[in-house]
Amino acid sequence: MNTLSFDSKRCERIRQQLDSYLSNELLVETATEIVRHLESCEACSRDLESRMRVRDALQRAVAKQPVPDSVRAGVLRNLRESQSRSLGTTGRRWAVGLAAIAFLLFSLFGGEWLSLRRGQQVIASILKLGISDHLICAIKGHNYPELANSPDQIRKKLGASYAPLLRVVQERLPGFEVLEGHVCSVPGSDRKYVHFITRGQGTILSVILTERNGASLPKGKFLASAESAGLSIYEDHLSGMEIAGFESAQYFAFVVSDLSQHQVLQVARELAPALNEKLHVTGHILTPIANDGVADSMNLRILTETTQCDEKSRCRVQEQRQNA
Amino acid sequence: MPHLADLYRTASLLLRDRHEAEDLIQDTYLEAWKSFHRFEMGTNCRAWLFKIMFHRLHHVRRRLVKTSRVVTIDDPDGQVELAAEPVVPQEIRDEDVLNALAKVAVEFREIVLLADVEEFSYKEIAETLRIPLGTVMSRLSRGRKLLRQELAEVARSYGIDPRPKRAGAAEIA
Repeated sequence: MNTLSFDSKRCERIRQQLDSYLSNELLVETATEIVRHLESCEACSRDLESRMRVRDALQRAVAKQPVPDSVRAGVLRNLRESQSRSLGTTGRRWAVGLAAIAFLLFSLFGGEWLSLRRGQQVIASILKLGISDHLICAIKGHNYPELANSPDQIRKKLGASYAPLLRVVQERLPGFEVLEGHVCSVPGSDRKYVHFITRGQGTILSVILTERNGASLPKGKFLASAESAGLSIYEDHLSGMEIAGFESAQYFAFVVSDLSQHQVLQVARELAPALNEKLHVTGHILTPIANDGVADSMNLRILTETTQCDEKSRCRVQEQRQNA
Repeated sequence: MPHLADLYRTASLLLRDRHEAEDLIQDTYLEAWKSFHRFEMGTNCRAWLFKIMFHRLHHVRRRLVKTSRVVTIDDPDGQVELAAEPVVPQEIRDEDVLNALAKVAVEFREIVLLADVEEFSYKEIAETLRIPLGTVMSRLSRGRKLLRQELAEVARSYGIDPRPKRAGAAEIA
């Protein structure tokens, strides 16, 4: 067996899972394996990109399809007619009346369920990607130095927009040392993460921020596990990792670690109010980096170089470039 | 009216007839209204409505089967052939992707719509269509590939080579 046939088989195996990867149906471990393969395989990466392009184009095209007014009018007319036909006896009238009230309530609040469901899907997806980022960048990629980078180095890597967040993370995570801070992304996704890697309580803990891009955490108690100064803290766990987070005006913020659920929630509760305040105060400069015309060149360079950095060697190169 | 637009768009793309789609939506909401006592509050009402719609849709299909010859497409094994992977255009127009979707057999089209547009999970799709999870996965894989093939065909019909112009970007054989 030569190298090419080995790679072909690996590519074939990966591509057989790309559809499930695209649908966010894989376990984090499998998704991580795919992500690592995509890093080194241009053909598979191009394949995924092509599949994402088609899916995005389809979503856009379908969303633009007009819905004639006659559809809604027809449904209402049909319901009214059915209700009139049903109004035979007093007993049935009560039953129909109650059903109509229930359906009316359902109609009024159904949108809430939709937004909740979509919110859950979005959050599940973001949480999974957040955990992937922690696993790939911090745990497997070991993208942090044994001796913590200096605050100046970290601020430089974060760029002017995100540098002010460092102090918040330092101050609100007592017992945790901030080893690293940068902007990164998971291969196969356009989502960017502001990533702080900290060490404490015998393990590594990540603080990750990512743009909301209009998405919202669902309002209500369904995913919220706790509150902190009026902020709802959301929690989930995957692959032995606990994740807890909240939303600010523009960002989702998460704490990810293999600490216990209680510990991770506690850290998130400590961090949330101050981080939210800082994000709020500096919100006007925290524009998305990809569209940030005023982002300084250093910021963009760091983003480029840390993007998809899941290999230690690559990050060493990055470190060398930045030191040079 | 909750989810009306989502349901109508899906129905019209599956039936490809505006009036039939409107009828289906009316039937769906009427059925939902009548069986609302069976809806469990706190569960996903959007999935519930889609389930009702697809149940009605299968009735419509059964009627169509009696009046016309319908070729049933068995699931292929869903194997991905590297060499035959279609290369889709870099820029995809709305009308092209909708035309390409219309050419995909309805058994695959419905799953592509449920997974990629409505973003239902595999489990929800399996429950909605009453088919095994494995069938959802294989049909989705096949459906997406058919869609890419159709898009590649559209590009070729315009005389456009959809392959990206990259030096040394040889496909793995």
